[in-house]
Amino acid sequence: MQYVVSILLLVFLEISYASAKTEEQAPDFNLLNSYGETVKLSEFKGQTVVLEWTNHGCPFVAKHYKTNNMQNTQTAAKEASVVWLSIISSAPGTQGFVTNEEANELTKSRNALPSHVLQDPEGFVGKAYGAKTTPHMYLIDKAGILRYQGAIDDAGGRGFMFKDLSQAKNYIISALVELNQGTEITDRVTKPYGCSVKYKS
Amino acid sequence: MINIIFKKPYKSLSVKLSLFLILLLTTSSSLWSDSFFQASDSSVEVTSESEAMMKGDELLLGLNFKLTPGWHTYWKNPGDAGEGASVTWQLPKGFQASEILWPGPEAIPVEPLMTFGYEDEITLLTKIKALDAAVFPAIVKAKVSWYTCKDICVPQEANLELTIQNGEKVNTFFANELSNVFLNLPKELSSKHRVEALDDNYFLQMELDGNTPVSSAYFFPEEYGLSSYSKEQILEINKNSLSLQISQSEVDLKLQNFAGVLLLNNQDSRTFFNVNLNLNNNQKQESLSISELVLTIIFAFIGGLILNAMPCVFPILSIKILNFVEQSEGSKEKMIQHGLSFSAGVLVTFLSIAGLLLLLKSGGESIGWGYQLQSPLMVTILIYLFVAIGITFMSNLVLGGQLAQLGNINQGYGDITSSFLTGVLAVIVASPCTAPFMGSAVGIALLQPGFITIAIFVSLGLGFAAPYLLLSFYPSLLKVLPKPGAWMETLKQFMAFPMWGSALWLTWVLSGQVQTDSVLMVLLGALFIALGLWILEKNQSSDGFAKWMSLSSVTILLGAALWLAPTDYENIEQDTSSDLNSYSPELLDSLLAENKPVFLNFTADWCITCKVNEAIVLNQVSIKNALESKGIVYLKADWTRKDETIANKLAEYGRTGVPLYLLYSSEGIPVILPELLTEDMLLSYIETIK
Repeated sequence: MQYVVSILLLVFLEISYASAKTEEQAPDFNLLNSYGETVKLSEFKGQTVVLEWTNHGCPFVAKHYKTNNMQNTQTAAKEASVVWLSIISSAPGTQGFVTNEEANELTKSRNALPSHVLQDPEGFVGKAYGAKTTPHMYLIDKAGILRYQGAIDDAGGRGFMFKDLSQAKNYIISALVELNQGTEITDRVTKPYGCSVKYKS
Repeated sequence: MINIIFKKPYKSLSVKLSLFLILLLTTSSSLWSDSFFQASDSSVEVTSESEAMMKGDELLLGLNFKLTPGWHTYWKNPGDAGEGASVTWQLPKGFQASEILWPGPEAIPVEPLMTFGYEDEITLLTKIKALDAAVFPAIVKAKVSWYTCKDICVPQEANLELTIQNGEKVNTFFANELSNVFLNLPKELSSKHRVEALDDNYFLQMELDGNTPVSSAYFFPEEYGLSSYSKEQILEINKNSLSLQISQSEVDLKLQNFAGVLLLNNQDSRTFFNVNLNLNNNQKQESLSISELVLTIIFAFIGGLILNAMPCVFPILSIKILNFVEQSEGSKEKMIQHGLSFSAGVLVTFLSIAGLLLLLKSGGESIGWGYQLQSPLMVTILIYLFVAIGITFMSNLVLGGQLAQLGNINQGYGDITSSFLTGVLAVIVASPCTAPFMGSAVGIALLQPGFITIAIFVSLGLGFAAPYLLLSFYPSLLKVLPKPGAWMETLKQFMAFPMWGSALWLTWVLSGQVQTDSVLMVLLGALFIALGLWILEKNQSSDGFAKWMSLSSVTILLGAALWLAPTDYENIEQDTSSDLNSYSPELLDSLLAENKPVFLNFTADWCITCKVNEAIVLNQVSIKNALESKGIVYLKADWTRKDETIANKLAEYGRTGVPLYLLYSSEGIPVILPELLTEDMLLSYIETIK
């Protein structure tokens, strides 16, 4: 049965591969969280949702957590009652793939504040959204419309490792503020930067 | 580390040692050590083509990365993930460094993503220059950070330094390698190339000279948001050109430029070229700058002025000259009134046409300049009009009514409206002649916002009316014209011939639009009109029943003539031999697909410029032979009748009228030829086709 579902999912998601477009309905998905519970995107209708593609072994992600930049963004989101979904699309055996226990341990040790850490070892959801890097961020509004996709901030580009992230413009926070004010989102698509998502090949 | 240990206990030691320490602390830490740094799975070394240079010299420096097999580092655009190396040069005073010169990258797929970078070994170049203020020996430092990646990425950094002495440049061990890398940097692309956005793809097309066969090609975009990196690029190679299909990015950032590096591979070489093309994001409505606008309006005025000398305005011109000759006996005031009235007629007509064009344009109809003559009814009415004018010239007829006054304008003393109507007529008849002078300007006008279109048409009208206006205000200028006399009657009668000549030409135009029978009907209608005018003239001085009879018979004859007029196109049997050469988008596409060069002639029977070009140039044996010898296929797009596909093709080149001549090379790249052709010019164009 699971096999059939996978195939069906594969067919469905292959069609929608990399088709997540800003200002369009965000593709719905079903994933297991780090507690083994099913989490469905559509159950958050009426709430703003942030998707964060992550891989703890990626130096880009590591820097965002080490400097507390990611946690600060998560805190800002939490204060605004925004659902934060950290998604791991690393295939088993690749960098960033973690067991549920390891995932929860990482959340704890890094003082991270995701609503859920979601396991996407087959990469279906990552491919449906066209997630390319870790981190790669998406913002979905209360109506389920994708409003932002791209980098977490403007610190990307050459020399990232030397940059002070607290000086960078945080696109997620800006978009959340603009979404809250009901004004146009200034940056709706930016270039994501980071390590490649370690998809199953 | 040694510095730190020494720092405290020896702080108060001898000056010599302090200086040594200060030197160590300021010029270097343990990281500022060497020209070489070994990291995990990669190393970096700063190299120079020479260890010495003079003021004013340029020196090539390289950062040479060596990578463990299987590992890579990135290009300036890393593709879907990763990041190119960052280099911060710290130069002593008096030195300048260039941007990093990036060698062409490789496509390194990381399924399902695509990255751009370098494997094994790469040298990033920088040129430094010693200015007059340079002080030697100069210590050049580089702070380098980069990523060494396989399936995972390792960020790495190094601080390197190099000392440069003052002196003649002497090649180092690295000089050869550096100049090799420099020579293989992406070059300017000298052959013709362009990019087209179609559906979800870009098509990068370029001409090839036969000497460099291409076996594969790849385009590396410079900026995010241009193309979808992971999608396959599809290469199509024709005899003399290539076309590379590149998927557009899923994210639309509305980039203005198609910029990046094109890699062309053949058996034994890889060559990189810089590509930087403008993407017109459907901005067909290019706005004119103020100076361009002023220039266009000036040209429109000059164009209007020149119209007076055109063959199709000639009859009107002669009418007006007659008119002025007669008016010169009248009062100055009247003259001015007539001049203003004529100009008003011209302007109102130009404005109406502009208004109509705008209206039709907003209705999305495909129209063009000279289009009035695409209507058989309009052509027929003009035929009748010219026949009637000719007859009144020949006779002593004095007609009443507005239409008749049009033909009776030589009796210009009377109604001011006659001058106005002459102005109207002049513009209508002149319109087919505007193409050679105004084709482009009208094209621009129609692509512009409405008010610019109107400004251009007003300017055109003012130019057209200017000579008459001038003459009416300064009748003294008329003195250069002959004194009135008996010759005027002769001249008037003679003027009937250009009128009938015009009618003849219009009849021929009509024959391209309707069947022979219908043309005959129109000629019959013309006969009726001649008969009616003859009856009118015979009964001119009669009254009562005879007058009533003549007027009613004339009305019946005029009605019959109009009833005979065709209202729409009819199928004409076309001879099949000409069909082979008649344009259709499909035929053009298939010829171009076969790499055949094509000469495409956009023409119409009512376009005099087209017909003149055909008669004196295109139909010449020399041209036919030249086309044949080059294997150029001659296609004719006949726009005598309304034709959507032709109008669309014209619009592609910003035209709304004919003529338009396109010469497609075998690579399918068109050259727009001038509207006025000469034999030599056309031959030299043909000569360029391979």
